[in-house]
Amino acid sequence: MSGCRGAAITDTVNVAGSTTILPIAEVAAENFMQQNDEISVLVSGMGSSAGIEAVMSGTADIGTSSRNLKEGEGEGLVDIPIAYDGIAAIVNPDNPVNSITTEQLRGIYSGEITNWSEVGGEDLPIDLINRDESSGTRDAFASNVMDESHFDVGAVILPGTGQVREVVARSRGAIGYISVGYVEPRFGTRPVKALILDGVEPTDENVALGVYPISRVLHFFTKGEPEGATKQYVDYILSDEVQLGAVIQAGYLPVSTIEGGQ
Amino acid sequence: MSDPTNEYTDWEEFEDGTLTEEEVELADDRWADAEIEDSARSIDETGDEKRNVVAELMRERAAKAQSRADDDTVDKMIGIVDGEAPVGIDDGIDLAAGAGAGKLQLVTRQTQIKEFVLASVFFLCAIVAVLGVALIFAFVAYKAFPIFTEVGFGNFITGTEWSGTEGKFGIVPFIVGSFVVTLGALAIGAPLAVMTAVFLSELASKKIRSFVRPAVELLAGIPSVVYGFFGVVVIAPIVSRLFGGVGFGPLTAWIILSIMIVPTIATLTEDALDSIPMGIREASFAMGANQWQTIYKVVLPAAKLGIIDAVILGMGRAIGETMAVLMVVGNAPQLFAGITRPISTLTSQIVLDMGYATGTQRTALFGMAAILFIISMSLVLTVRLLSRFGQEMSG
Repeated sequence: MSGCRGAAITDTVNVAGSTTILPIAEVAAENFMQQNDEISVLVSGMGSSAGIEAVMSGTADIGTSSRNLKEGEGEGLVDIPIAYDGIAAIVNPDNPVNSITTEQLRGIYSGEITNWSEVGGEDLPIDLINRDESSGTRDAFASNVMDESHFDVGAVILPGTGQVREVVARSRGAIGYISVGYVEPRFGTRPVKALILDGVEPTDENVALGVYPISRVLHFFTKGEPEGATKQYVDYILSDEVQLGAVIQAGYLPVSTIEGGQ
Repeated sequence: MSDPTNEYTDWEEFEDGTLTEEEVELADDRWADAEIEDSARSIDETGDEKRNVVAELMRERAAKAQSRADDDTVDKMIGIVDGEAPVGIDDGIDLAAGAGAGKLQLVTRQTQIKEFVLASVFFLCAIVAVLGVALIFAFVAYKAFPIFTEVGFGNFITGTEWSGTEGKFGIVPFIVGSFVVTLGALAIGAPLAVMTAVFLSELASKKIRSFVRPAVELLAGIPSVVYGFFGVVVIAPIVSRLFGGVGFGPLTAWIILSIMIVPTIATLTEDALDSIPMGIREASFAMGANQWQTIYKVVLPAAKLGIIDAVILGMGRAIGETMAVLMVVGNAPQLFAGITRPISTLTSQIVLDMGYATGTQRTALFGMAAILFIISMSLVLTVRLLSRFGQEMSG
């Protein structure tokens, strides 16, 4: 693998995992392949846990994850933080509720609070939208918000950030959570409203400053130190071109902004 | 000359094994020719004529055999046939028949090998399906086994709580979910499909049928992920607007699945209706029944078992459907709480968890697959029993 730089043969880098990281990894992969004809980068989004599983089993060269490794998971994996991200609780723009506390959010997601009137809104049942258990976003949300409480099992479970956004955008009583980077409408999607949490707006600055309560690190995991084509791709992701380009465009924060601040 | 087949003679006495079907035809043709050239050929006066034709055929068969196998028997046979054609026919026949069984072969060894190889290939193809079922079942059962020892079979199939991350593995919500989704889809889809079939088989003009039937068949060709997408983008928002909630739940799944099972049920029901003899309908009309009465009181009851078969197979399709259901059912591992409240099914939960599940949870997924397998198998068995029951009833 290490001798392939500039060679005519084709090298393939398999990148699998988090749907949150998908936009960064994909845009970067496209540009990377334009610059490196001999390397092909395949990116797929199956959820963070699946990504970690894939890199452990060797089906992927890089596993992407929007959550940290759990205890006993991913032994021997090299952790490469590639960006930072906050998670915003989102509601329909027609919902009069603008602000909420972490405690209220926990109450809503554990099923104790079931009507918007209980958190200062109109008399409307709350429609919970949750993510599937393989989601890194769910994991980060659980560890930042849920504390010891369990998720309400009656929540609708949707298998992707885009779907959560879409459903909240069209349902007045719905609440969901997505990456801060996905809140702003793109490509003609309908708007959603991000709730102010504990008085802090979910903005890039607040996430970067560490004052926003729900934040997380986005990871690349490799089995052992990356080599050859894989290393080239990782280096490219960490270069200013991607960090100040795709990462910021996708709504995340470059690793350099918080380096050491976490 | 008019058609000779009916006009001349019957070959019945030679048909049981003496002559092959082709040879009977040949004999008939020659018999006709013989008649035409009657005078020129001056055949024997009476019944021996027929035997002559047969003898000729036997001679040819023997000659063919000889060209393949060098054996005295053939000479002997031809001798018999040549010498005493009318009388020795039976011996010739015996020899020709014996040739297949003995050393003398009517087919060459090469042909025999070719046929054996072909038969083996077809047999292998058939066995692949059987082996497939056996292997999959063995594999699923083997992989599922630990869940029955770790969690216990009882806890597994009677537990109502499911949380992979917390180590709770009760699959009642999924079994209930699967049946809720399937039965609801059948309640909507089966009448829809049966009525479609009745329309196609009994009522539609040729012109209308020529575009309704392909349309129904096309439904079967649409990938389930497309149905799912349609459900998410079109049906779920409508359900949400009409009934509140976010539009993910049994109702949306019913609507999507009921459309998906229409082709299965409609096609099989149409077959069942088409197999009802026209005479039954004519008898009904003759009794003064109108078309509606004929369909409702005569044709449908007559095709009852076929229709039940169709519905059960439709049920199999519905209970096994995964992608479309996963996308619209909401996937909440809770017991049925209302037609617009999310639930989850065996299939959708397997897919949802498969990507990341490890250890006991993965085993639990195989356990769910095994349960699903048993449910599907019972459905197929029911169809089998029903059709046997039907045969006994009619025979």
